[in-house]
Amino acid sequence: MAFTLYSLLQAALLCVNAIAVLHEERFLKNIGWGTDQGIGGFGEEPGIKSQLMNLIRSVRTVMR
Amino acid sequence: MISIHIHAAARRASGSGSVAAMAYHSGYGAHGSKHRARAAAEPPPLFDDTSGGYSSQPGGYPAPGAEVAFNVNHFLGDPMANVALAYGSSIASQGKDMVHKELHRFVSVNKLKYFFAVDTTYVAKKLGLLVFPYTHQSWEVQYSRDVPLPPRQDLNAPDLYIPTMAFITYVLLAGMALGIQKRGQSEPPPAADGGELPICGRRFSPEVLGLCASTALVWVVMEVLALLLGVYLAAARSDLSTLHLLAYSGYKYVGMILSVLTGLLFGSDGYYVALAWTSSALMYFIVRSLRTAAPVPDSLGGPAPRQHLQLYMTLGAAAFQPLIIYWLTSHLVR
Repeated sequence: MAFTLYSLLQAALLCVNAIAVLHEERFLKNIGWGTDQGIGGFGEEPGIKSQLMNLIRSVRTVMR
Repeated sequence: MISIHIHAAARRASGSGSVAAMAYHSGYGAHGSKHRARAAAEPPPLFDDTSGGYSSQPGGYPAPGAEVAFNVNHFLGDPMANVALAYGSSIASQGKDMVHKELHRFVSVNKLKYFFAVDTTYVAKKLGLLVFPYTHQSWEVQYSRDVPLPPRQDLNAPDLYIPTMAFITYVLLAGMALGIQKRGQSEPPPAADGGELPICGRRFSPEVLGLCASTALVWVVMEVLALLLGVYLAAARSDLSTLHLLAYSGYKYVGMILSVLTGLLFGSDGYYVALAWTSSALMYFIVRSLRTAAPVPDSLGGPAPRQHLQLYMTLGAAAFQPLIIYWLTSHLVR
């Protein structure tokens, strides 16, 4: 595969766009990945799922 | 010299071209004769040496011959040329300052300098360690008062010099390998395989070199991003910054170079043997280094699942390396 830097930029842009278009109410809540469902206790163990949800939420906030 | 002093004053004042021109022009009439006399005695500078200390002569310019010096002297005796000279060099210094400022916004230059503080013995030992890491005992990075020691004093510290040089050497070696290939081998089989040939498998031409370089760079960037994502998801509070990860993922280029060289010298079998050897050495090296670098002991201690996660991430990163090495070099040693 011949990658140019431009194709890397395109791929990054498409991935970020894909994360940004995940709708909060219609989709994420239905699969249990909403932002108010994941933040469990104030413990020290975030776990992968809550880290991912945090990441999705921050990407969506930045891209808004 | 007079030109340098006036130029320094203009640069310190406001740096704009008109001020320099005016300052120089006003100063020129008074010192005109002295300037000419002095310029005839030593070779006149074609551009001012504006970097730092002004004590050094503009000495990069050797005097070619008497008549050439005199012609240049006559040319530089023209006041407009001198004004243009001062203006141009002030613009150049402005550009340099602007570039430094922009660069400083993205990359902290001090942190970058830490990674390049290497010397010859460190590089030699590190290369030996990359090829044969099995006998090395202590893998901890040493600190001195909470600051990690630079690579000059600590063999386990990561550096960016070796990866950078190895990357450049890999690109040049890829070009050479493509040029060495026989004609029958290097032309892609005409629609015989459905798969896509990596573009570095074509015959050599200058744009193939650039494509090869950018492909390898893109793989490095993707790997660093994946590692960053892995470190973030595992929520490991360690001192593995982006540049550390860049350094560790750049070490595989040494393995690639060795594999390609062995493949060129000893044929396809030598290539596979070298590939296996360098892959296992690199995997061992990365696993040992990252296991001591990643978990920073905090007061609460790391809970068990997080350590498992970190271990999986490390093993995944290590297992990814041979695949990349094979993918980026197999077409060169066909």
